[in-house]
Amino acid sequence: MVTSLASRLLEALGPDTVLNSPEDLAAYSYDAYSEGHLPTAAVIPRDAREAALAVRIAFECGEPVVPRGAGSGLCGGAIPARGGLVMSMVRMNRILELDVRNRRARVQPGLINLDLSRTIAAHGIFYAPDPSSQKVSTIGGNVGTNAGGPHCLSYGTTTNHVLGLEYIDGAGAIHHTSLDDPGYDLTGLLVGSEGTLGLVTAVDVRLLVLPESVRVGLASFPDVESASEAVSAIIAAGIVPTALEIMDKLITTAVEAHYHAGFPLDAGAVLLVEIAGPRDDMLAGEAAIARIARQHGAISWRSAVDAAEREALWASRKGAAGALGRIAPNYYIQDACVPRTKLPQVIHEIGRIARDHDLPVGNVFHAGDGNLHPLLCFDRRDPRAVRAVVEAGTEILSTCIAMGGTISGEHGIGHEKRDSLALVFDTADLAAMSRVRDVFDPRRLFNPDKIFPSGAVCGEVRVPVAVA
Amino acid sequence: MTAAAKPRVVVPQDAAAAAATLADCARDGAAVVIVGGSTLQSIGNAPRRCDVALHTRRLRGIREYDPHDMTAGIDAGTTLAEIASVLGRQGQWIPFDAPLPARATVGGTLAAGWAGPRRAVYGRPRDLVIGSTIALTDGTLARAGGMVVKNVTGYDMSKLYVGSLGTLGLIVRANFKTLPRPPVRRLAVAPVAGDLRDRMLALVGALTIEPTAALMVDGFARVARYPGAALRLVLLFEGSDAVVERGTRDLRSALGKAGVAETPLFDGDAADLAFAELIDAYVEAPGNGTLTYRTTGLPSSAWARTRAAEALAREHGLTAESIADLRTGDAILRFSARTAATFAGKLAAFDADVRRTFERATVLAGAPALRASIDAWGSEPSTLATMRAIKAHFDPAGILAPGRYVGTI
Repeated sequence: MVTSLASRLLEALGPDTVLNSPEDLAAYSYDAYSEGHLPTAAVIPRDAREAALAVRIAFECGEPVVPRGAGSGLCGGAIPARGGLVMSMVRMNRILELDVRNRRARVQPGLINLDLSRTIAAHGIFYAPDPSSQKVSTIGGNVGTNAGGPHCLSYGTTTNHVLGLEYIDGAGAIHHTSLDDPGYDLTGLLVGSEGTLGLVTAVDVRLLVLPESVRVGLASFPDVESASEAVSAIIAAGIVPTALEIMDKLITTAVEAHYHAGFPLDAGAVLLVEIAGPRDDMLAGEAAIARIARQHGAISWRSAVDAAEREALWASRKGAAGALGRIAPNYYIQDACVPRTKLPQVIHEIGRIARDHDLPVGNVFHAGDGNLHPLLCFDRRDPRAVRAVVEAGTEILSTCIAMGGTISGEHGIGHEKRDSLALVFDTADLAAMSRVRDVFDPRRLFNPDKIFPSGAVCGEVRVPVAVA
Repeated sequence: MTAAAKPRVVVPQDAAAAAATLADCARDGAAVVIVGGSTLQSIGNAPRRCDVALHTRRLRGIREYDPHDMTAGIDAGTTLAEIASVLGRQGQWIPFDAPLPARATVGGTLAAGWAGPRRAVYGRPRDLVIGSTIALTDGTLARAGGMVVKNVTGYDMSKLYVGSLGTLGLIVRANFKTLPRPPVRRLAVAPVAGDLRDRMLALVGALTIEPTAALMVDGFARVARYPGAALRLVLLFEGSDAVVERGTRDLRSALGKAGVAETPLFDGDAADLAFAELIDAYVEAPGNGTLTYRTTGLPSSAWARTRAAEALAREHGLTAESIADLRTGDAILRFSARTAATFAGKLAAFDADVRRTFERATVLAGAPALRASIDAWGSEPSTLATMRAIKAHFDPAGILAPGRYVGTI
C-alpha cells in the first residue's frame, strides 16, 4: 500500500513534484507544533490539475491528504498524523487575477500573506487579515485556520475577506464556490475547516482601500489589568481602533532588547493603539484614546510621529514571540479568546496558574478582541517543566471557557486541541459538525486526526513545544 | 404552499419545544415551513408541501447583551426594530439593512441570507454572526461558535445555516458582534440627467470619503425623494460629523462641476427613513403584475445590468425599474405589466430571457401568481450535488420546506 502511493504519485507527476526519500519527508513531518509524524510522500503541485491528480491517487490508495502552507501553524494542523500525503502548496503562490476596480483578487493558496498586500499597495489597496506570521504564512493556511491578526478588531478575520474558493474533493474533482452563488454558503463552511473538507486551490479575496491616515500610539500602564480596563473603556466610548494590542513587562523587556523601539521598561504593560481612516477623525480619536488611557491609570502616552516609528512599533509587536528566545530556550504559546470585559480577571488567573506551576509567563495579545496569547517559558529538556506547561495550558483553557470564552481565537484546533474541543461543545454540537464532514469527506482522509476529539482514553500526555 | 389543506400552526415556547416539534414532524413526515415576520417569504420557491407552519414569535428576546463586550445573543423571533431600539440606546447597532424591520425577525433575516447595500462597509449579517444554536430534525439543539468575536473552534456552522432558508433546521438563537452606530448619517439624492450619467457614475468611484452605499435608482417613484427625476443617484454617508461633512462637501462640489445644480440632503432620522424606504422597495410587489429579480456580480457591471434589463423589458413590452448598487454589485430589477394577465402570458419567454442575459438572477419578490410559475433560482450552482448531500444529512426525512431551495432542495 505504502509503496503503491509513492510509486503511483511518482509515475503520474514525476520526481520534481513528488518527494519520498526519508530525508526529504522529514521536513514535511512537523510544523510549528512539536509532535511530528512521517508522511509517505510529499507532493508540491504547480497547479490545481496536479493537485487534483495527487488527491485522487491518494484517495484511491486509501491514504490521507494533509494540506500544508508555510508550516507555521502552532497547533499541528499540518502534521500528517496518520501518514499519507503531505500536499505542500508553496509552488502555487501566484496572484492569478487582480481586479483593482472591483477590489478583489484571485490568488493561489501558497501565496504568502504579506506578499499580496505588498504587491497591490501601489494601487492603493490591501488585504486586511494580517496574522503576526504574515511574513511567512500563506493565504491558504490562513483560510484553513480562519486566521486573524492584530487588525481584525475593525476589519474582521479571514472569513470576512474570502468571497469564493476553488477546492478539490476526494475524487479529485475541482469545484468553485462563490458568495454570489445561490445555495448553501460552502465558502463560509470551508474557511476555518483546517483542511478537513477538501483541498483549497484558489481563493477569491476581498481587498480594501488603504486608509487615508493611520496613527499609532503607545500607552504604558502599571499592570496588564489596568491596560485591559482601558481597552474596554475605549471600546465602550464607541471608538473602534484598527488595533488594540497589549504586551506585558516580560514581553516588552525581551522585545526592547531585540528591536529597540523605545518601550518604557518601567511599565507593567504597554498598550499599542492604531486608528485608521479619514484624516478628519484622527486627531479627535487619538485625543479621546489618550484621555481614556490616562483615566485608567496610564503612566505615559506617546504618538508615533511618522511611518518609520509606526513600523518600528509594529515590528516589535509582531516579532514579540520570536524575541522571547532571550528569556527561555522554549516557549509554549496558548491561544484563547474571552469576552473583552473578562480580560483583567483572566490575566490575573493566568498569572496565578503560571505561578502555581513555577513557570514564567508573558502576555502579548489582541486585547480589543479579547484574544489572549499567554506564552509559558520553559526548557524542553526538563521533563518536569514540560509537564507543568501541559498542565498550565489546560488550566488556562478551562479558565477561559469558564469565563464564557473559547479555546482558540485564531490559531485553530489542529491536532493539539482536538480533545479540548469537547470542553466547549457537547455531543449534539459535534454531531452537527460531523454531518458536514460526512458530506465532504466520509472516509476521513482529508487531514485526519484534526479538529474532532479522538474519543480515545485519557491519560496520554502529549508534549506541546512550540519552537521559537 | 398548496391551497389544498391549511397548515397546522405551531408556536413553540422555547428552543427545546421547537426542536421537539421538528422531531415530531420528521417522525410523522409532516412538512414544516418556518415563519418569522413573513417579510422575505417571497424568496425561493413555494414549498411543495406545508403541513405545519412553525412560528418563531415566542422565541423572542435579546439575551446576554453586554454593550461593553459588544456582543449579543438574540432569539430567532426578535424583530429587527426591537434590536435596533435596544442596541441604539447604547449607541450600537447590527446593520441588517433588511426590509420592513418592524416585522422582520432576526431568524428570518438570517435564514433568508439577506444582505443589503451597507454590506460594502459593515459586512453581511453572516459576517457579524459569531455563534448560533440550531434546532435539528432529530430533535437536538446544536451550538456553534460562541460569544467571543474571534473563534476558530470547529466548523463555522453558523455560515451554513445563514441563507439556508429553513431547509436544514431552525435557527433558534444567533450571537452577534455589535458595532458602534455611526453618529451622523446623511443621504444625498442627486437627479441624473441623461447626458450627465456617465460622468456621475465615474464620480462615485473617485470620492475620497466613500459613501456607505451608492445606488443608481431608476423608477421606484414612491420612494423617489426626488419626484422630478426618474433616475437618481442615492449616496449614503455615515460616520463622524467631520467625515460626513467632508464627504458631502466633496460630493456637492464634484456634482456641481458635473453640472448638477441641486442635490437634496437628508440628515439623521430623515436619512434613516428615506434609506429604509428604499430598502423596503426591494421586496415590495405593488399590484399583482410585478416581479423583482436580484442579480449579483461585479460592482463594475451593476449599472450595465440595469440597462440590459431595460432593453429586455422593452423587448417584452414590460416596464423596468432598477437599483444598481455600485458598491456591492447587486442589481435589483423590477418588471411590471399593465395587468397581471399580460405579464403572465409572456412570463415563460421573458424569464428564459432573463436567465440567458444574467449569469446570476434570482427572484426576490413579486406577485405570488407570477412567482409560482417560474423557478426562483434560475441557474444551478456547480456545487449542487454537495448541497443536496448536506440537505440529506441534516434533514433526511426531507420535511423542511421541501422544494423551496436551489435545485428543488
